[in-house]
Amino acid sequence: MATTITAPPVKNIHEKQRESGFYRVTHSYFFQKIWKALFTAWVVVTLTFFLIRLLPSNPVELFIQDLMVQYGMPYHEAQDQAAALFSIDLNQPLWGQYLDYMWGLLHGDMGTSILSPGTPVTSIIMRFLPWTIFSVGIALMISFTLGIILGLFMAYRREGLLDHILTVMASILSSIPNYILGILLIIFLGVRWGLISVASMRGTLSPGVEPGFTLEFFKDALYHAALPILTYVLTTIGSWMLTMKSSTIGVLEEDYVTVAKAKGLKEGRITSSYVGRNASLPMFTLLTIAIGFVVGGSVLIETIFQYQGIGYILLQSVNKRDYTVMQGVFLVITLAVIIANFFADILYSWLDPRIKLGKQE
Amino acid sequence: MSNESQLIWKHEAGSGTPLSLRNVHIIYGARKGDVQAVRGVDLDLRAGESIALIGESGSGKTTLGLGIVRLLVKSADISQGEIIYRRNGTEVNVLDLDKKELREFRWKECSMVFQSALNAFNPVLRVWDQMRDTAQSHGWKDKKAIRQRSLDLLGFVQLDAERVIDAYPHELSGGMRQRVLIALSLLLDPQVLILDEPTTALDILTQRTIIDLLRKLKEEQHFTMIFISHDLAIAAELADRIATMYAGRIVELGSADDIFYRPRHPYTLGLIRAVPKVVGGFQELFSIPGSPPDLIDLPSGCKFHPRCPYATDKCKTEEPDLVTVGREHEAACWHWREVEEELQTNPLHSV
Amino acid sequence: MGSVFLGAVQSMGATLRIMSYNKVGFTGFIAVMLILFMSFIGPFFVPLDTETKVDQIYQTPSAEHWMGTDHQGRDIFSQIVNGGKDVIIVAVVAGALSTFIAVTFGTLAGFAGGRIDAFVVSVTDIVLTIPQLPLLLVLAALIKLNNIVYLGIILGALGWPALLRAVRSQALSLKQRDFVEAARALDLGTTHIIFREIVPNMMTYIIISFALAMTGAIYAQVALVLFGLVPFSGSNWGVMLSLAWVRGAIYFKDSIWYIMMPVAAIVILQLSVVTMTRSLELVFNPRLRSGE
Repeated sequence: MATTITAPPVKNIHEKQRESGFYRVTHSYFFQKIWKALFTAWVVVTLTFFLIRLLPSNPVELFIQDLMVQYGMPYHEAQDQAAALFSIDLNQPLWGQYLDYMWGLLHGDMGTSILSPGTPVTSIIMRFLPWTIFSVGIALMISFTLGIILGLFMAYRREGLLDHILTVMASILSSIPNYILGILLIIFLGVRWGLISVASMRGTLSPGVEPGFTLEFFKDALYHAALPILTYVLTTIGSWMLTMKSSTIGVLEEDYVTVAKAKGLKEGRITSSYVGRNASLPMFTLLTIAIGFVVGGSVLIETIFQYQGIGYILLQSVNKRDYTVMQGVFLVITLAVIIANFFADILYSWLDPRIKLGKQE
Repeated sequence: MSNESQLIWKHEAGSGTPLSLRNVHIIYGARKGDVQAVRGVDLDLRAGESIALIGESGSGKTTLGLGIVRLLVKSADISQGEIIYRRNGTEVNVLDLDKKELREFRWKECSMVFQSALNAFNPVLRVWDQMRDTAQSHGWKDKKAIRQRSLDLLGFVQLDAERVIDAYPHELSGGMRQRVLIALSLLLDPQVLILDEPTTALDILTQRTIIDLLRKLKEEQHFTMIFISHDLAIAAELADRIATMYAGRIVELGSADDIFYRPRHPYTLGLIRAVPKVVGGFQELFSIPGSPPDLIDLPSGCKFHPRCPYATDKCKTEEPDLVTVGREHEAACWHWREVEEELQTNPLHSV
Repeated sequence: MGSVFLGAVQSMGATLRIMSYNKVGFTGFIAVMLILFMSFIGPFFVPLDTETKVDQIYQTPSAEHWMGTDHQGRDIFSQIVNGGKDVIIVAVVAGALSTFIAVTFGTLAGFAGGRIDAFVVSVTDIVLTIPQLPLLLVLAALIKLNNIVYLGIILGALGWPALLRAVRSQALSLKQRDFVEAARALDLGTTHIIFREIVPNMMTYIIISFALAMTGAIYAQVALVLFGLVPFSGSNWGVMLSLAWVRGAIYFKDSIWYIMMPVAAIVILQLSVVTMTRSLELVFNPRLRSGE
């Protein structure tokens, strides 16, 4: 292999310190990621505002018309009621409404539910969000960790029998839509084979169990979250395994792995600190896509298993046209993904020292 | 560790033979057939000397280097031969070592400086971590002592030790990394050092500093080195003896002076003639016709005959062995005397 | 004319032979072809059974009903045959649009670099962050999505970001290759370089992107139908699944065929499209062939 390797420009350590402190802070990876997260959040908020306020058939107008037609309310009265529910002053010009809306959001004011009058959207969200974070969080951790370990294993045993079996399984699992896998789990585990009692696993907690730092609570919470978690894990682990496998195969050919062997390092140390750590780095950039996919998928999975998390509420509010709740839940789901991505980015930069220097790529 | 206090063990020149290769064959399994990368190499490495292995890519020199520490890829197999390693009167065949013994043997007895130091370091670990895990894997417990020795060695290779030790590899330039790798290779005070194209990936000025450093190792510390290169000039500068490899065999072996001024194998002669000279202005540059042989389907007889200007029918059928052509000078050619005559009429390096 | 036809057949034969080098991929390709044949030609031979037959509810497969009957005694096989067309049309429309966006802007960003690249990358990152399914739900609440082409366009308009990322990084690595550098040195113009030098070399990637975009669209559209957000009429695998689900068919032992058939159809379609890419890779990337 006569590849010519040109030496990179000397990144002199002294040079780095010459840059001013302020520049370095504002242009650091960390701050770049914060700007990016804030900017994305702003775009999403604005988009949501336009969806509810500017579309020809936007929910505010729909709601006003509904009141006028169904209850014979005069336009002004209907408009006032809509304004109260959506927490927007409809007499203002549009940009005023936009600013109002933003201001309200900053104070956690997302209006009131249309269907359960008097219930602030924020309180609905606070009630259901933790369960989604709990189930999705655990599922992502399990599938990510397990996927990395299995992928590493497959790369070490590549072309072996187990590798072939796992590869086929991973390919099949990653092409089954998650909601279909959920349905299959209910049909086979619950109905056909009677291994589990699907009915008693519905909901987030059994009746009578109070949230708190008790073993009983955690056991019950896990019991109810088990099916959604199993579904998320099974449908995402395949792509982790396959990506990790190919990434590991690449790293195994790197010179530094040969050098590590030449240095007489112990096998375990090479696998963990040299192969595993480097091979798993690209996985963190994929985490962004996975988080969005799993959180988005929670809408379907929670509905199938009747697990009352934020996704379940979103589908409910969409079906019942509870626009204020729908809008609030959508925003929160998206913000949750933005925040999760931010932490994934930070974790990545912590694991890959090359990132910290400044610009990525 | 008996020599901890000393930076580098002062190797005694010319005492014993730490490494001997006996009839080493290395084969790569490939889809189309076996690749015969190394075919019956015999070589004795004397204490304190440095041997250069030179040849084109595909001549088997890097394979041989990796084979000595058994770092070949899975598809490769050392099918025959012995790699004898000696220290303090004991003798082991490296090929007989089990996994654990082999792990302990590597780096402590025989360390290796790789071709591309750019990629030789784990990008996510600091230099210090990579020094430490090497020492700890070989039973060093005292972190302070490891750090002190690492700093000393980094200083020895003329780096700003305090800064470099806590740097990540990407914060260092190519030349700096190559020097860190040399420092790292000395960490456990090995008896033999294998250098695989240690300067190839570097720019010309950085090459110079690395060569100077290696010469210092050789001249002041009498380090025992195997030096793999395709660059004859560097080999001539750093090596006591030079072995020319072609198609997996050593075709000529002799002192650096003999090889450089009095080559007896047409292939060595071709390599020397192919080197452009800095002095002397414009001259016709010689190149060896043809291309390196197909290692799966080797030519019959002398493997060099399809490219050799001296080839006769004998060369096509019988492969020559190494024969003595001078004092401590061997070549594997039926026509080495003709090469000698040719050099008398048309000498090399006529300035 | 005859020779042109013969040539086309011959080159098709050669293509098929190349594709058959990868057994798994070729199986996927055959399966995709069978599904296409069944969904677009099949309906002419197997008309949709719409007649309610109260005495034939939830029957198991028989010579008369190959896949049994549903909750109204209708033939399931006829529903499977007739239910694929819409799913595939939506997937193709969405896949084509996503791929077009991803390839055009991905190569542009990767090749142009600088501000254009930064802009495309930020837009992609933002769209990538917004979870697709919740956004689709919200959109479904606000606009009617009952036209299949319209649905395909919306799915396609949302499904490109992950592909664009992949295409861009591919373009970045292609940009460094010699032939592109040569074209740039000759000053052949950006359009020429993108469409003549980069895109052809990315054919494998584009095909795989298209397949993946299609599977993404199948996933999203069946979800929307299953949860009653897209009021589809007629027969559609998603509608079948939705009806079976809403009717609680999963809790009846006899109804297993009614729910498993559309499940099988959707999963097999997804799997075949994904595995087919392995064979298509061989066709568009000659370098992969020589190794085997």
